[in-house]
Amino acid sequence: MRASLFITCYNDTLFPETGRATTRLLERLGVELDFRQGQTCCGQMHANSGFRAEAFSQAKRLIRIYEDAEALVIPGSSCVAMMRDQYPGIFEELGNESQRRELDAFLPKVFELSEFLVDKLHVEDVGAYFPHRVTYHASCHGLRGIHLGDRPFKLLSKVRGLEYVALEHMDRCCGFGGTFSVKNPEISQAMLTVKLHDVLSTRAEFCTALDNSCLMHLGGAMHRQYAAMRTIHMAEILASTEDAPAEALA
Amino acid sequence: MNTAILDPKLAPPFREAVLPVLRNPMLRKNVAHATEVIQNKRARLVAEKTDWEELREAGSAIRTHVLENLGAYLLQFEERCTAAGGVVHWAGTADEARQIILDLLRQENATEAIKIKTMTSAEIQLNPYLEAAGVTVHETDLAEIILQLGKEEPSHIVVPALHINRSQVREIFSRTMGLKDLSDDPKELTGAARHYLREKFLRVPTAISGANYLIAETGAVAVVESEGNGRMCLTLPETMISVVGIEKVLPRFQDLEVMLQVLARSATGERMNPYTSLWTGVTPGDGPQRFHVVLLDNERSAILARPKERQTLKCIRCAACMNHCPVYRQTGGHAYGSCYPGPIGAILTPQLMRMHHAESLPFASSLCGACYEVCPVKIDIPAVLLDLRADVVNRERKQAKRAFDLMYIGLRIANTLFSRPWIFHATQRLGRIGLRLFTAKDGWIKWMPSIGGRWTENRDLRGLPDQTFHEWWAARAKEQK
Amino acid sequence: MNATVQSRQRILDRIRTATASVAKPAPELRDAYAALPRPYIRRGKKTVEERIELLVERLREYDAEVVETTPDGLPAAIAAQLGASGKHTFVAPAGLDPGFLVGGFDWKIDYDLTTAQIELTEGVVTAASCDIADSGTIVLHHTASEGRRVITLLPDWHLCILRRSQVVETLPEYFDRFETSPALVTWISGPSATADIEMTRIKGVHGPRFLHVILVRD
Repeated sequence: MRASLFITCYNDTLFPETGRATTRLLERLGVELDFRQGQTCCGQMHANSGFRAEAFSQAKRLIRIYEDAEALVIPGSSCVAMMRDQYPGIFEELGNESQRRELDAFLPKVFELSEFLVDKLHVEDVGAYFPHRVTYHASCHGLRGIHLGDRPFKLLSKVRGLEYVALEHMDRCCGFGGTFSVKNPEISQAMLTVKLHDVLSTRAEFCTALDNSCLMHLGGAMHRQYAAMRTIHMAEILASTEDAPAEALA
Repeated sequence: MNTAILDPKLAPPFREAVLPVLRNPMLRKNVAHATEVIQNKRARLVAEKTDWEELREAGSAIRTHVLENLGAYLLQFEERCTAAGGVVHWAGTADEARQIILDLLRQENATEAIKIKTMTSAEIQLNPYLEAAGVTVHETDLAEIILQLGKEEPSHIVVPALHINRSQVREIFSRTMGLKDLSDDPKELTGAARHYLREKFLRVPTAISGANYLIAETGAVAVVESEGNGRMCLTLPETMISVVGIEKVLPRFQDLEVMLQVLARSATGERMNPYTSLWTGVTPGDGPQRFHVVLLDNERSAILARPKERQTLKCIRCAACMNHCPVYRQTGGHAYGSCYPGPIGAILTPQLMRMHHAESLPFASSLCGACYEVCPVKIDIPAVLLDLRADVVNRERKQAKRAFDLMYIGLRIANTLFSRPWIFHATQRLGRIGLRLFTAKDGWIKWMPSIGGRWTENRDLRGLPDQTFHEWWAARAKEQK
Repeated sequence: MNATVQSRQRILDRIRTATASVAKPAPELRDAYAALPRPYIRRGKKTVEERIELLVERLREYDAEVVETTPDGLPAAIAAQLGASGKHTFVAPAGLDPGFLVGGFDWKIDYDLTTAQIELTEGVVTAASCDIADSGTIVLHHTASEGRRVITLLPDWHLCILRRSQVVETLPEYFDRFETSPALVTWISGPSATADIEMTRIKGVHGPRFLHVILVRD
């Protein structure tokens, strides 16, 4: 099985360990992974801010890079949602027939990480070992944008040693929303306060999700408040084994 | 005392408007409680309704069909309603609607009117206009009386006084109704309102309402309610005036079988609301013998013209979107500066203003999608929000004032960054070095200047790792060779 | 009124332009409407007995008092309900079955009663047109035996005589039965209520606070 890794611009810069874990995990499962150095960003930040022309040019670039890829794996649900939910409308508005055809050929190749594991590799037990108490936050894009459903739970339930605790109001937005937190920082913070209350109430050691943007937001607040919890992307939990525990545990 | 301005032309931008609300624990508690109650009730009933998604599908299809053929259905409604003894008026703007209604009241020599709650009348700011012209308007919905007597503004389209608690209601009623010994028990307060209003229902000969649905096939009008004040207003007076948005029409009587199944479940978490009334023109011997419908455009036809935005008009005013919105939950309705708050307000209000006002509203969302998930007629609110954001930016980016806007500059730079990998990578390296200045020994950043400060106000940021992922990959590839 | 005629034309023109690319021409409109998807449940699966049971359950959830009887037992059942109410003066629609006007009470038949006269009554007795079990909804079409709308609105106490044959399970079934829309319809699902004060549900704001139902097994 061959696949190409799209790391996402913020993972590349801020959370390379998520990429390393994704690599380790997929290679362990026998995937022949490649990484195209030309990749930058999917255009979500610009699209969400109303800068469609810019988002379009980034999207075109991205599609071209993966023209001959068999599959893309993306450890970031919001980027996948961007491609599936927004690219078609943007290409309808700004693109031509041939570009829309390229998009149509591209989209079926896109997989969020848990989708790739469960739907493409047909695996739920990835051989992971992570003996800690963990709660899961359902990022909005993953939940409502691309409908990940029970895939994350299927994967987490097979991780040996993991003690899962359910998050109350799991589906409630953490308040980050990308540029929302910059344009409306006070209300974003109010939403974060409410969300953090629920997350910390689980008394978990780790809060995980399939999107580092939410985790950055939650984790940043946890660190500021000296909370007894950290955030970790699910890729890192799934990549963790007895012999090679997650980097976060070091 | 609430000083909300619900005029989109005058209301401050969302970011500013939320500040006093965020500092009001009582209001936030009331809003959180109210939305949670309705959420839970709705969830239970939706789970019980095995064909819920099918109903949404049909509801969306019917509403879309109507909007696409609005002209034909409005003409049919006009013809049938007129044949049944009603008089149909057409108001292109809020101004025209107010004028028509005042003229009709003057025709009746009416100095008073009883009113059923209707957001449409709030939209056209009818009450202050009529009051200024010497007509006393008596609101008859419990929430609306509370607001009217307490000189407050609505904060939700179904439960407009949810930001007001019982002791506040007690204070308002005991002061304005002269009831010294009134307790704050909701039952007693409701009883006081019932008594206060009875006299008006029996005496005032002119009523003003909105409508939930207009039925094209028969010219009928339907009003959905819980309290019975609607029934009072549409049965007892001699003259009935209904002001209704042009988008409220349904093709046939039968289409109510979908709408009435989704509306109450979405709005109040009930299988069916207590009273739904339908009347057709004038029925001799039963109810008002003079009936007027004022059809209101007020920019709806402009929204209709835009294929992506058209779905905004599918709305059946159930408020499920705001009941589930994590932003609304923290702010309540006043922060939106409009009689239409929450997610639907964020897309409807600026469009009613032709995007000249309320431009901050499309950005007042984290795009979580909860609204779309619960909308009974499947309005893709996030998609419309994004479209309106693009509208705002497309207009603003050419303006001189944006030349120095950090956000605009920043996004333009970011685009250049992402257009060439080498620029992206170089910027990452630069950023890594630059941010080292702010990175503490534990590898975390507690403070950043300028726009970075928006992050560090309440959160730490982990310092940029020494190696990006792509650098790690390149190094590994080299090693493996 | 000239101004509103101009407005009307302007609005219709704007709508026409706005929907030019999607509006169906007149001959195709009906087909387009008929082709709309209706994948929801139209017909319920309950037996008649189950339907009745559900209706009674829903009505009781609204604190309506429900008794069942046979056609022969109906007058006695009515007398019992009226007797137990502690009330004496009742308004009845002009077309109500005279057999329902049981003795011992002050009946005001609605041959165009004034509002003031209705205000003096204590209760009202009517038939109904249909009952929807799923939501516990009583549907009035304000026929001769159901009366003008005002008489089921002003009195504080309403006794409604329902027939077993009138009970349907789902709302679409009601619309199947009444394809031709009546001019006046009131769907009643419980006494009036409000949750406007702190989301505390209070029953009985305007309209009858007390609903009694006699279900006749016809």
